[in-house]
Parts: sequence; structure tokens; C-alpha cells
Amino acid sequence: MGATPIFETFLAEQGLALFEYLGKGSFRSIGAFPKWLKEIWGAEIGRAKTVRLGEQSPFLENFLFDAERFWSSRASGTVNSGNWIERGRGGVETPLEASALRLDGKKVLVVRNSSAAFAEQTQWLQTARDSVLEHERLMREIQNKEILLHCIIHDLSQPLSAMRGCFNCLTVGDLPPDLKPFVETGQRESHRQEQMIRGVLDAFSGDLAAVKSHTGAVAESADLAACARHAVRNFSAAFMEKGIRLQLDPNLDVRREWRSVGDAPRMDRIFGNFLENAMRYSPPHTTVTVGVEDKGALLGAFVDDEGPGLPADQSADKLFALFSKGRDRPGKAGLGLYFCKMTVERWGGRIGAETRAKGGSRFWFCLPPAPNASETGAAGPVRPSKKPFREFAEEDSAPAGSRPVGKAAKNLRVLVADDTEVNRELTMELLKARGHSAVGVADGRQALDALAKARFDVVLMDEVMPGMNGLEATRAIRLREAGSGKHQVIIGLSGNATKEDEKRSLDAGVDAYLPKPFDMHKLFQMIEFAAHSGSADMISAVRPADSAESVAGHLERATAGNKKLAQSLVRSFLADAPKRMADIRRAIARNNAEMLATTAHALKGSVAIFGAPESVAAARNLEAMGRAANLHGAQEEFRALDRELNRLRHDLLALAVKPAKKSSMRGSAWRARRRK
Amino acid sequence: MLTFKMCMLGSFSVGKTSLVRRFVTSIFSEKYQTSIGVKVDKKIVRVQDQDVTLVLWDIYGEDAFQKLQMSYLRGMSGYFMVADGTRHQTVDVALALEQKVTEAMGRIPFVFLLNKCDLVDQWEIEPETEKNAAAHGLGALRTSAKTGEGVDEAFLRLALAMLPK
Repeated sequence: MGATPIFETFLAEQGLALFEYLGKGSFRSIGAFPKWLKEIWGAEIGRAKTVRLGEQSPFLENFLFDAERFWSSRASGTVNSGNWIERGRGGVETPLEASALRLDGKKVLVVRNSSAAFAEQTQWLQTARDSVLEHERLMREIQNKEILLHCIIHDLSQPLSAMRGCFNCLTVGDLPPDLKPFVETGQRESHRQEQMIRGVLDAFSGDLAAVKSHTGAVAESADLAACARHAVRNFSAAFMEKGIRLQLDPNLDVRREWRSVGDAPRMDRIFGNFLENAMRYSPPHTTVTVGVEDKGALLGAFVDDEGPGLPADQSADKLFALFSKGRDRPGKAGLGLYFCKMTVERWGGRIGAETRAKGGSRFWFCLPPAPNASETGAAGPVRPSKKPFREFAEEDSAPAGSRPVGKAAKNLRVLVADDTEVNRELTMELLKARGHSAVGVADGRQALDALAKARFDVVLMDEVMPGMNGLEATRAIRLREAGSGKHQVIIGLSGNATKEDEKRSLDAGVDAYLPKPFDMHKLFQMIEFAAHSGSADMISAVRPADSAESVAGHLERATAGNKKLAQSLVRSFLADAPKRMADIRRAIARNNAEMLATTAHALKGSVAIFGAPESVAAARNLEAMGRAANLHGAQEEFRALDRELNRLRHDLLALAVKPAKKSSMRGSAWRARRRK
Repeated sequence: MLTFKMCMLGSFSVGKTSLVRRFVTSIFSEKYQTSIGVKVDKKIVRVQDQDVTLVLWDIYGEDAFQKLQMSYLRGMSGYFMVADGTRHQTVDVALALEQKVTEAMGRIPFVFLLNKCDLVDQWEIEPETEKNAAAHGLGALRTSAKTGEGVDEAFLRLALAMLPK
């Protein structure tokens, strides 16, 4: 096989070198030996009639195995080596690529100088990888800040716990009537401060989640009208004190559902900020109205006042900016309305303020309806329902006021493990006032010692303690119990209050989790509930009710109200999910994209029955990674899925044990919990 | 003279190229330059009183953009599974890759390298994870291509394991 001068020129121009394979590792150059290749492998190589290319380059030597296999097969097309870098005699590095093919029945090897394509490829790959590294760096930075924030929150929570404990203690005895309002104010304000601290933590966690998922997707939903009602109820006393009338819009259509994207605690804060603002600017003897209205594709909420309206020189945008304050009567730090804007926009909504034509101002926000609202008939009448879970939760989390402590039906022995002496003592005092007996210890090690010496009905275990912390102590207790058939009820306490903190405690083995500062009635309820009915039932008492309600709603819709079918679905899900998770874990560990796509798809289907949008999204992401044969980030997504499935599992167990205590589900839920 | 093929494997940007460079030329550059394709270097070392040629295959980092081609590993006598101690997810990639290599090539001596150990304040690998990594192959070593810490030791440990018994 020869080559014409024009063909040789073409090869040189293209940076190509063609060799005919003669067998036994020998090649003959087709045409003159290319100059560029001589510069890499040395001039002497061009002088020989045949050349053993494998000896020139270890990479090529390796590739020739593949090339020979190809030439000796009947396969058509070409086989490529991929890029490799060859360092020339002068130290210059040249990217090369080789291909084996057949031409006119000859075995031909093409060596290509891929400098141009290589530079381009390197550039985009460098950019892509730099971006990945930058994203990882940002994630780390956010996580570090989160840790710092948790520490600060924890430190803030400790004295707040003590303050709430003191107020609670004051309400135990007969309080003189003239002191009662002060104590109630103290309780209310400490409760508010607690909500604010949690709000900051939630907002920060929300930001982190948004960065993690790369999407602004919000899965939770809340009833706008219920939040508006709640806000009016909460603020009416404060407004009354200032001689301002606070009312729920009389035109509110109570027959329809007003469920939008968002979550109730943060929505409460938005209404709270609007109302504080209205209270600040409204003259006495005027009316402030809170309402909810249909805004076409969005659901709107508003707070109307009859004050002076917005200052002419202040746009709504400025009002919602960071550290913005009113001109004449400044509010607080100027963070409130900024928080509202940030939150509403993260939920995909809009926020604003305007001067009303009739006078006064309107502060409003609009949110997309909850994703499932149209399915369930957002505009339809509200179905007769049981008492909403949320109301139950609100009652629980609201400040206790001067509700009497009362005596418990049964005296319980409670071990209080808390390193902060004042909190420990106050908790013990409250327990004693309730008629229980309490023993206090200052760390996990002492808790283990106390449990070894005496029997306790319930352990209250603080998470952060010096030496052995609460999580370590809980694990140690569970380890001791393993195989004994015994089960010590442990309620985890923590100044940190995110879902991650809760999950960490539940994973360590606590039966329930109570964020500090806690309300004493809630504490009593949990302890007495636990001691009366065992730990599994407690899950329903401590899990956020909205989530369990949402799962129940989905299940009901999916099964058209068929309870037997629902129970069977829950049972098979609880049994199958761990196996499916193990399959997914295996697929990721083996980097088996096809298996990942199949297993994640199967899990997604079984989870979707319960709604559980976070779990569905995580499973969907894993499935997509599998389908795209791109498992980058699969480990993280798997961890997210694991977390969400744990939540769902708790919700399902709660559903299984709560509504029908005689149901056979209860037994299986118990067993599942015990196995864990 | 004995010649051994050693491969550098691991996620992208863990420092495979830098480790080879440090070992072969004692040079380190702070600038991250991503690798495409394969670069082969050689170095002669003295192990147990004999000269051994190490043929070092620096193979591009595994990620969503580039997947490891198993044919590059043909004939290797040992390998380094490299992770970046400041990025915990690179350990997951390394462990998955190790499993893939073992499935394809059988058991081959390797050393787990936790690189960038000079960045102590950014270290993300939990002692438990490090212990787990050390249980694989010929154990785990902390290395720094920047300071040279652990680099010669790593190459010699692997070379020693490759010598005929």
C-alpha cells in the first residue's frame, strides 16, 4: 500500500500517521514517516523499514492488544485507544490517539496528533470540574456555618429553657392575680423568642437544602386561611390593648380550601410580621383586617390597616430590603420584612405592599396553590374532617399560660440527664410538682450508672453533655438491652431543633424527641403517654402532624378510603422498603447504573402512594442518575432518600398506631420499631 | 531489571498527577490542571537491593465526564487508590472504584492514599472512615504531594508488595 505525495501532504496537515500491521508487533509506515512523529519518537525511527510501535510507547503497547484482537476478529468499524500524552525527546508533551481499522483488507493503525481537540476538551472539562469543586467548596462553607449556627442556637436555648422553666414553676402554685399578667407576658415572649430562634434555624436549613438540591422545589403545604385565623387569634389581645380592632376578613370564603405551597410555622411568622407592622402604624379606634383571596393562578393573603399608608418616598421594594426600617417609628432590626420576602420568594410567590385607595396600607403575599390542591378540588367545599392535626399541634406548642399543672394519674420515676444545672433542677421541680419523682444526673455516663442501680419509667436525655453525650449514652443503653427484651423509654432533649437533629436522636435510639425550650404540658403529655402505652405510640405525639396528615390524605385518596387496602399497602411498604434500599445501595456501590435506575424506579412507585414528595424526588433523582449512567452525587442522594424514608416510616407507623389502636397494624408497627 | 506497571486511580482532583510528579521529579504545582487521557512515566527505584523500573500510569480521574477504561489496567502489578482527605465524597468514589477494579481484574496489590494531608484544618475524613480504608489492600497512607509527606513511602510500599516472593 503506497501513498501519493498529495495524500502524504494531507496526512501531515491532519496530523495523521498511518501504519500497516505486518504481524508480530511490526509496522510499516504508509508513505514517508511523519516529521511530527519523529520529533516525538526520534529521527532514527523514520529510517527503519519496519518499526515496532509497541516499543516506542507503553500506552501503545497496551493498545496493540486491543488492536490485534480487533484485526483478528470479523468486527467492522474501528477501535480507538482514547487519549494519551506522549512526552517527546525534548520533553514536549503531545496528546495522541490511535485507532485500529481495516483498509483494502490491510490491518491499519492510525496515530493521530489530537492537540487541537485535546486543548478544547481540556478547557471544557477544566471548567466543568472547577465548577464542581466550587460547588463542593460552597457546600462545605455552608455546612461549617450551619455547625456554628447550631452552636449559637444551642447556647441561646439553654438560658431560654431556664426562663421558661421559671415561668412554668411560677404557674404551678397559686399566683397572685396582679402577678399573673406579668408571668403570662413572660411566657408568651419567651415562647415567641423560641419560635424566632427556630425560625432562624429553619430558614438557614432551608437555604442549605435549596443549595443541596439545586432546585427551589418546596414540597410542604399549609392552609393560608388557617394561618390567617391563627394570626388573628394570637394577636387580638395585643391589638385590643392598643385600642385597635383586629378581625378576620368577613368576606373570607370558608367553604373552600386555601392550601398553598409553604409551611405553617413560617407562614405564621409572615402574618406575624405584617401584623406587628400594622399594629405599629395603626391609630387607635381603627380596624386591621386579615384576609385571604383568590388571585387567579395564585392564592393571596393580606393585612389591611387604616393607618397613614406607605410613605410617598418609600417603595415597596425598599420596605422589604435588608435592614429597612420605617421612617418615623422604627421597628426592630429591619429583618422581619426581609425574612418575609426571602421566604415567600423561595416558595415561588410574590410579596408587596401598597397604599390603599380608601386609605391605609395593604401588605400582601401570593403563593402558588399546593401541588395537590387542584386534584383535591381547591375550590370545592371543605370535606367534613376530623379535627385537623395542625390545630392539635398548635395547641401543644402555644405558651401554656397559666394552665394548671395538675397531678398525674400515676407517679412515674424519671431520670433527668442534663448538664445545665439550672435546667435540670427546673425540670425536676416541674416533674415533682406534677407528682412524679425525679433524679438528676449531669452526663451520659452518670445516666448509665443511675440506670444500672435503679429502675426508671422514663429517661429525659439531653443531647449535648460533656464527656459521654446523650446520643452516646442512648446507644449504650440500647446496646445493653439488645436481646434482653427490655426497653427503656428515652425522650431526647436538645437545644438544636432541626429535622436533622431529630433524626440523629431517633437514629441513636431515643423513642421521642423534644426540642428545648419545651412547654411543660407537652413534656408531661409525652412522659405520661410513653409510660402508659410504650414508646411506639409516642411517635405520633412528637412527629410534625402536618406530615402525617398529608401521608394519611394521600393514602386515603390512593385507596379510595379502603382501610384494609391502606393497611396492607403500609405493611408491604414497611417490609419492602429496606430491601429496595439495600438494592439501591448495592447498585451505587457497584456503580451499576442500570440496576440503580430499575431499583430507584421501583421504590419511587411504592413511595408515591403515600405522597411523600421529598422521598419521591430523591428516588426520581437516583433513577435519573441511573438512566443517564451518571452516578455522580448518587451517595448524597441516597443519604437524602434514606433520611426521607425514615421520616415517612415514622409517619406511617404513627398512622398505623394512632387512629385505630385495636388494629393489627399496631403490632407490626411495634415490631418494626423494636427491630430498629 | 524488573519492571512493574503501577496505576494511579481515583476521583478527579485528588492529586494523582501531582503525586506522580512529586515522586518522579520532586516538583509540585498549586494550580489544578485537570487530566484527560493517560500519561505514562517511569522511575527506577531500589527495592530490597535491586533496581526496579516502575512504569507509572497516571489515569484521568473518574467522574461524570470520564469513566475509567478497564483496558488501561491490563498488565498492572499494583495500583494506588487515591482520595482527597479534604473531600469525603472522594473516598466513596475510591471505594466504589476499588470494587469495580477487583471485580474486573481480581485481587491486585494496592495502597489507599489519603492525599492533601498538609491541609489539616480542612481534613474531612473521619477516623472510622480512615480505619475502613486502611482495611483494604495494603493499608492506607496519608500523603501530601505538596510537602512530599508519605509519597516515597507509598511507592516503595507498593513496589515491595509487587516483588516476587
